[in-house]
Amino acid sequence: MKQRSRTSELIARPEMMAGEVKQTSELFRILFHRSPIGTYIVQNGVFRLVNRQLAYILGYDDDELIGKPALGFVLAEDREAVRENAIRMLKAGCSLGYEFRIITKQARVKWVMETVAPVYHQRKRATLGSLIDVTERKQVEERLKQITAEMQRSNTELEQFAYVISHDLQEPLRMVSSYTQLLAKRYSGKLDSDADEFISYAVDGARRMQILLQDLLEYSRVGTRGKPFALVNCEHVVQQALANLKIAIEESGASVSYDVLPTVLGDEGQLVQVFQNLIGNAIKFRRDEPPRVRVSAGRRNSMVTFSIEDNGIGINSQHSQSIFEIFRRLHTRDEYPGTGMGLAICKKIAERHGGTMSVVSQPGKGSTFHFSVDMAGGESS
Amino acid sequence: MRSQVAKRPMDILLVDDNPGDARLTSEALKDGQVESRLHIARDGAEALDFLRRKGGFGSAPRPDLILLDLNMPGMNGRQVLAEIKEDAALKQIPVVILTGSREMDDIVRTYDLQANCYVTKPIDFEQFIEMVRSITDFWLTTVQLPMEEN
Repeated sequence: MKQRSRTSELIARPEMMAGEVKQTSELFRILFHRSPIGTYIVQNGVFRLVNRQLAYILGYDDDELIGKPALGFVLAEDREAVRENAIRMLKAGCSLGYEFRIITKQARVKWVMETVAPVYHQRKRATLGSLIDVTERKQVEERLKQITAEMQRSNTELEQFAYVISHDLQEPLRMVSSYTQLLAKRYSGKLDSDADEFISYAVDGARRMQILLQDLLEYSRVGTRGKPFALVNCEHVVQQALANLKIAIEESGASVSYDVLPTVLGDEGQLVQVFQNLIGNAIKFRRDEPPRVRVSAGRRNSMVTFSIEDNGIGINSQHSQSIFEIFRRLHTRDEYPGTGMGLAICKKIAERHGGTMSVVSQPGKGSTFHFSVDMAGGESS
Repeated sequence: MRSQVAKRPMDILLVDDNPGDARLTSEALKDGQVESRLHIARDGAEALDFLRRKGGFGSAPRPDLILLDLNMPGMNGRQVLAEIKEDAALKQIPVVILTGSREMDDIVRTYDLQANCYVTKPIDFEQFIEMVRSITDFWLTTVQLPMEEN
């Protein structure tokens, strides 16, 4: 209703003075014809008044459109929806716009967004419409949708691939590993020293490859074998992780403390895995003094961020991104054992929970790993 | 009736299409506590022929224990298990599922089919040897099994 009065103010009324009339029609001309929004009045289904922008969007001259049925410019498949939307909007008053396709004079299809409102034109009911060209935005959206779908597909495929190779390679590798071990067991010291050395390298290589494959399998399982999300008490999660790390904690003389921790929405087994990996790392990468680890949590909007702070050897900031890549190691196996898969698994679990992983560190002083989960989020694939 | 005191070698039927695993199993049994004879069937059909003394297995002994792999070409382990447990003459023989799979689905389905136990083949060699020995020790010396009337 507001629209009606505003529009009618711009149209000359009999009681206006001549100067006023001129001013009003000038103002109307500017607002109407220079508007970047296609604007029109439709009465009995045909255009009564159109501005230049509308004519431009449709590819016609303004006067060509007058008297033509408005729905005729709508793509045939979209016509029914446009009619229904228009009726709904006219009943409810002005609300959000709706999108559909039109055909231009040059037979091009364009996406437009329209809003309509009921007005009076020459004392009869009419519809005031505004329309903008959203073709480019639509194209970008479509492309984004396509890319997202493609990425999801290739992600799933990659996960499946990693799962299948790590799973299926284990069987033949088990043969290699078992029989080299059997050779070592039965023939060690019975052949010459070269043979013993060769066999020991074969045994060692096979064993390392088994561990790599197991870690790769575990990594691929984060996405393919995860459990549905449920409410998880993170203090229980940390307690579970500490129980699993009992031996490492005792041997290193580590002290691990944790604050009051919240309940979050997630996969309990995977959350235990994250805390176990991070606390385990804090203990593993320690300096000469006994490790001290503190677990805390903070909340901002729907994101809960956990921090695992240690007094260990720290990480040079140039590595603060790459340590989360798969099989990334910063030390030789002799210095610190491991496949370099732990943090990649943590990151993947954080991402499955709608969160992220990062680290802040001072080499020689300690590191703080941050790990977040989205409380509002369902699982993100 | 056969006496358990007179120690005869125990007969074990291993059903596995992987000759590498079959050999590892026989190596593990060699130094084990139980004196045993290992018979190997390369697939499900051969296993059933052995058990029913058909097609070249006319003089096959009735095994005291069956070690059964799940994933085999042709007739798979689940089908063999189902046949054994539906056969009045065979269903009392303990069947140990010995497989590479640790999928819960496989575990549940084989217990539903009356498997006597389910074991995942350890990846580590020493553990594999240990596993074969503990299974045969348990099934062939610890438990009481019904004796076949001769």
